[in-house]
Formats: sequence, C-alpha cells, structure tokens
Amino acid sequence: MRYVIGLLIASLAMAACGGAGDPLTVYSGRSEELIGPLLEDFTEDTGIPVEVRYGGSADLALLIDQEGERSPADVFISQSPGAIGFLAEREHLAPIAAETLELVEPSFRNADGRWIGLSGRVRVLVYNTDLVDAAELPASVFELTDPAYEGRVALAPANGSFQDFVTAMRQVQGDDATLGWLEGMAANNSPEYANNSSIVQAVARGEAPMGLVNHYYNFRALAEDPGLPSQNHYFAGEDLGGLVIVTAAGILHASTSQDDANTLLEYLLGESAQQFLSEETFEYPLAMGATPWEGLPPLNDIGGATLDFDSLGGGLERTKELIDASGLEGP
Amino acid sequence: MRRPTTVVFVSIAVGVLFLFPLGYLVYGTAFQAEDPWSIITSSTALGPLRRSLLIGVTSAAGAAVVGTALAWLVVRTNVPGRRFWRVAAALPLVIPSFVGAAALRAAFGPGGLVEAIPRPDGFAGAWITLVALSYPYVYLPVAARFAATPPSLEEAARSLGDTRRRALLRVTLPQARGAIAAGTMLVMLYALSDFGAVSLMRYDTLTRAIFSSQLFAPSVAITLGLLLAVVALVVSTGEPVLSGKAVATADTRPPRIHSLGRWRPWAGLSVLAIVSVAFVAPVAVFLVWWLRGPIAGRQELADLVESVTELTGPAAGSTVAGVVAALAAVLVTLPVAYAAVRSHGRVSARVPAVISSVFALPGLVVALAIAFFALRAPDLLFSLYQTFPLLILAYVLHFGAQSMRASTVALGALSSNVTEAAGTLGAGPARRFLTIELPLMAPGLAAGAGLVMLSVLKELPATLLLAPIGFDTLATRIWHAAEDGFLADVGIASLALILLSGILTWLLVLRPAAT
Repeated sequence: MRYVIGLLIASLAMAACGGAGDPLTVYSGRSEELIGPLLEDFTEDTGIPVEVRYGGSADLALLIDQEGERSPADVFISQSPGAIGFLAEREHLAPIAAETLELVEPSFRNADGRWIGLSGRVRVLVYNTDLVDAAELPASVFELTDPAYEGRVALAPANGSFQDFVTAMRQVQGDDATLGWLEGMAANNSPEYANNSSIVQAVARGEAPMGLVNHYYNFRALAEDPGLPSQNHYFAGEDLGGLVIVTAAGILHASTSQDDANTLLEYLLGESAQQFLSEETFEYPLAMGATPWEGLPPLNDIGGATLDFDSLGGGLERTKELIDASGLEGP
Repeated sequence: MRRPTTVVFVSIAVGVLFLFPLGYLVYGTAFQAEDPWSIITSSTALGPLRRSLLIGVTSAAGAAVVGTALAWLVVRTNVPGRRFWRVAAALPLVIPSFVGAAALRAAFGPGGLVEAIPRPDGFAGAWITLVALSYPYVYLPVAARFAATPPSLEEAARSLGDTRRRALLRVTLPQARGAIAAGTMLVMLYALSDFGAVSLMRYDTLTRAIFSSQLFAPSVAITLGLLLAVVALVVSTGEPVLSGKAVATADTRPPRIHSLGRWRPWAGLSVLAIVSVAFVAPVAVFLVWWLRGPIAGRQELADLVESVTELTGPAAGSTVAGVVAALAAVLVTLPVAYAAVRSHGRVSARVPAVISSVFALPGLVVALAIAFFALRAPDLLFSLYQTFPLLILAYVLHFGAQSMRASTVALGALSSNVTEAAGTLGAGPARRFLTIELPLMAPGLAAGAGLVMLSVLKELPATLLLAPIGFDTLATRIWHAAEDGFLADVGIASLALILLSGILTWLLVLRPAAT
C-alpha cells in the first residue's frame, strides 16, 4: 500500500513540476533488452539523462501522431522503416544534423535527413535442413511461385517487414509484376503466419519446410536451442529477396532538446554502440566502418538489395491493397 | 425505490465517462475518414465483421458450458483435488492471448509436445484458444454464486420429491442464471476485442483488419473501430439486466457438497482435460522454453536465477496496477449496478450497455482514445498525461464492464425484502447498505474485482502507451521478449505472471470469500 501511495505522490509531483532538469525522452520501438544498456552508457558518458518509453513501433508512431506538438518525446527509435516513414510523411520529424547523417550511407537514411538507419535486417529464406535439400533452394525469390514450392514456403503477409519487401518489389518491378508474384504465392497455397518469429518456430519444428523472414530470428532461436534444424538461405547477389531493411531513429519537431537528441543519434552510430547492436541482436551495423558480428556473412557478399526507403512509408497503403487483392492474408 | 436519485446521478456521470472511447471513434470517423459508409459496406469490413460475430457467439457458448460445469464440479461436488482446481481453474484468464495462442501452437501438432493432437489453427484454433483463456469469466462469478446458494433451497426441492438432477436443473442452475449470463456476455465481448489469438491462429476478424490498416489506412482503421463499438453496443443492449430469480434466505450454512459416487473419477478426468488444454499445456510450453537452454548445457544456473530476480520490479508493477485498478473499478461501477438493479430510470438502464461496449474494443483503441482527450485537455488535466492515475482510468474504462457485471449479479441475488425489513426497523440507507447489502454482496464484488485484476495483469497497449516512463509489468516483459523472439524470457515471465496471479487470486478473492 505504501508503494501505491508513493507512486501516486511521485506521479502527481512529476506532473506538477513539469520537466525540471529536462531529461531526453525516447520513445523506443526497440525493446529494453536490445537498447537499454546503450542508453545507460550514453547517460554515463555524456551526463544527459534519458527516459525511455518502450512499445511497439507502430503503436508509438500512432501515439506521437496524436500527441503532435504536445509530445513529450524527443527521439523516436523505430524497428521498421514503415513506422518512422509514417511520422516523416506527417511532418513530425525535424532535420538531423549533417555530420550525424554522414555517418551512414545515403541508401540507409531519409533523403530529407529526417531519419537515419541504426542497424539492418536482411530478408532471407529460413529452411529446415531435414526437410529441404540445399539443391532445392532458389537463387531468386521470384522462383518461389514455381509449383515445386507449392505449400512449402511460409509467409507473414500482415507483418511489417514482409510489407516493406513487397513495397520494394513494387518499386523495382512495378505493381503488375508484384501483384503477379503475390498471386503466384497465393495460388501456390503458401502457408500464412502472424509474424517472423512464428514462421521460424514453425520451420524449426518441421511444420513448414521454408519461410520468408528477417535473418536474425533464426540466430536468436539457435542461440536458445543450438540443436534446431533451421538455417538461413541468402538470396543471390542483388536479388530483391535479400532486401536490407533498416531500424531507424529520428528527432521530433516538437522537441526542445534538438542538440541533445543529435548527440544521442551520433552516440548510437558510434563504434561501441554499433558493436553492441550487432552482437546482442545479430543485426548488421549501419555506420560506415563498423564490423558486424562474426557469425554474419558480410553484407557485401550476400549482395543485399537496398532501395529508397522513403517510398516505403507513403506507398504502404497501395502495398496492402495489392496483398489483399492477391488472395493472401485471411482464410 | 426510495433513494435512487443520487445513485442514478452518479451512474449517469460514470456512463458519460465510459462514452469517451466511443466519442473518439465518432469524431475520428466524422472528421478523418473519407467516405466511411463505403468502407463499412465493402468486403474489407463485411467479411471480418461476419467472422468477429461468429467467433464472439461461439466462444461465448463454449465458455458458458465449460465455465458453468467446472464451477459446479469444483464448488458443489467431491471431485478429486477440488481445492487445487478452485484456484487453478481461474488462472487461464491471466495468460495474454498472444502467448496463450503461441503456446498452444507449440504444444500440439508435428514437432510439438503432443504430436498426436493436431495443431490448432484458423477458426477452430482461435475458438479453442479463446474458450480456454476466457471461460474463467463464467467460472469465477458462477462459482461465487454456487458457493453462496443456501442449501435450504435444494433441500426444499428434494423434500418435495425432486431427484438430485432435477434439483440441480430447477433450483441450483436458475440461481446462477444471472451469473452465467453476465459471464457469457463478458466472454463474447472479450472475443470481439481479441487480437492476439485471432492473429496467431490466422483468423481474419475486425480487430485484425483494424490493426493491419492502422498506419497505412487510418481512415479504414478508425471506421472499423466505430463499427466494432456499435456492434458491441448492440450486443450489450441485447442482454437485459438479470436481477430476479436468485433467492436470499436467512440460511447461512455453506452449500452442500454432492457426492459424485461412481462418476467421481470421470468428473476428475474431465476437469483435468479442460484444465490441461487451458492451463497445463501452456505452462508446459513455458517451462520448455525457459529450461531447454540450461538442459542443453548452454546456460549456467546463475543465469536462471538472474532471469527470475530480474522480474521482481515488473511483478511489483503488475501487483500495484492490478490491485488499484480492481478497487477503482468496483468503486466506480457499483453505483451503475445499483442504479440498474434498484431504480427503474430509463437513462440509468442504458448505462450498463455503454460500459460493456468499451470492453469489446481493442486495448489500443481505448488507450489512444484516452490520449486523444488528455492531449486536448487544458494544462491542469494534461499534466496527468502518462501518469499513474490516468493509467488506472484507462484500465477502469476498459475493464469496468467486468466488475459492473459481477456487482449487478451480486445485487440481483439480494432480496430487497431484507433491506426493506431493516428499513422498517429504522436503519437508514447508508447503514442498510454497509451492514446488510455490502457483506452479502462481498463474494460477488470480490469476484468482479478479481476479474478486473486478472485482466489488468495481462494488459498491454494502455500500459505501454500511458504508464509513467519506467513503469514495467510482467505482461510488458512477456510482450517485448516475444516480439524479439527470445522464447526463454517469454517462458519465465509467463510462469511468473501465472504464479503471481494465483497468489493474488487466492489471497484477495477466494480466501476472503470463503471465510
């Protein structure tokens, strides 16, 4: 009971005195496990206190959109280009300092300098080594509509990463070819799942032989249970199937701490932070010159198609329409 | 009849508060959606609407049967292990549907723990998950009702020549009719609001359509949200307030325990079967997820200990949020139940439907609605934004239906004769309420508080968006770990959540009611 009263008093006191001392407020779609220690180090190194609200990237983006000028957030860290693209499009984000932007290749940041990539995820085909012969694995994601793959390739059509991948395909191949591919996957009775994690679980227990997912889920599953018969297959060269999707950060327009916010972004792209991101989460560091975790094949070797991420946010509605029209998603 | 004016006034004020989420959806649809009518009449809306109604009705029916049968067996018969089941049977309610569904998919089917049983999927999978996780909405209030039914009624029926079975059908079940109806309604609304189970089981309902269009087609999302709210209002109005039928007597003996005779082992097995799917299977999966690393020799025991101790902060957060919200919800909704049962005002009779309808909305919609109003409020009110009191308000709005239904049932079971007799003996309204009605209603109110508490323990969207920064619960831990694919952390945090719920349910709900 004392704890309750304490909490009530504390929250009222906090409400009453506003932002004295002004910590930097971060809304993070990335979980505490995957970024919390970095933010603590940041405070230790710079003396800038940080408060973090953890949640789903899409949910937090919706909340920031609703908060507008009254948003307590200074920085938004997004797990998907879709959620941060949504905020850029709705003009909630401020330009990032030029020297921060230059830490990352232009293909991994917003053209107007409103958000910047922190780490990268590669789309792969995860497969069960007991059920799939390596010779059967396709060089291109476009081969998956072949009858040879009927009923064997799991998809997550409602998942943000899958939708980002479809948007990328639209950009490169056009809407008609993309719809054709989606319809081909639907006609092939590709089993559908809610998200990447459930596809990797399904592949590992042999329920689905293969599945289109982000690369790190299988590394995390193997870290918990090294005996699992699941493995990543990387698509060849510049194939769209191997698209690199960024996690990104941006600074809010409404923020009165633009300088501190820029310092934080710079810190997250620094050497130690990038190393943490890669080693703890098996993702690719995006700062130029940073070395990825040793278990990952180098980004250059696997090709890793990239694209203009800005179109991802805006074009997603059309992407969803195409997915719906193709017969995927739902029973 | 004599004093409802204040109660009616308070009840209507509470009703207005519960209209906020609906107000947000109406505003959004009116000012932000393009051509809402064509969205509602399109296949984007109609298919998911049909599936939402189907899963809502069938889940409610399934949970009504399972919850009532379990309550009767555990409270009124000598089924083996009844004391244990009494608590364990309530616990599936605390498993968030997205982990419950993931666990059931991992438990059964090829590669699962039990390969002989097919993997749950689609409509059937969503149905099994929702019934398994929500039958306690029926079980808890009905068990409370059975525990409070005086033995003299059944004795009277038996002495008039009824068989035991006939006494059950004619006396015991009708006594619980209000509780069964109230619980069933809650299950239906819960099934309508669910996103976790339907999305993991790949069944495309309205909530799934709302979530998948949120960022990309906000006008579709908000219009479908309004559609869901209207459906919920219609559904809630469909259930008249069931007050009558239950009889109170001066008989305060505990209810009679029936001997099941040769059926006893079978009854035990059927309880075990139900609880196995709803509770044992998920718990087994959580244990496997948590322990397979250490068993494979990859992790030190110290890591295990650390993974447990890391959960004390979130467990404290869950407890505080659950207990405070439960008390607040009972307090706020009791006048509504009172006005609905005791006065016959037209307006106050509508308030319960409004309160119930909020429960059918996805938590994210309720959280965004509260943010919407707080952000447009004057500075003084806005200063409460993302503080503990506003978070509690969010919980009360979302889950108030549960305590209101339970209070209504408890009040309906009270005979007004008793209070009127006290009145003729000179007791004032306050004294009558405190010394007669409140003690008699206590088990019912406790059951309502318990339901709210268990719901808050698994709540996610409001906690993530509206809690003070740094406020962590076990449910948010589970969610983050699941999002990241760290199943070992999902396992241990889920086990901790179940254990905590069991302890709290026993300490705060069942034990006081039993004494």
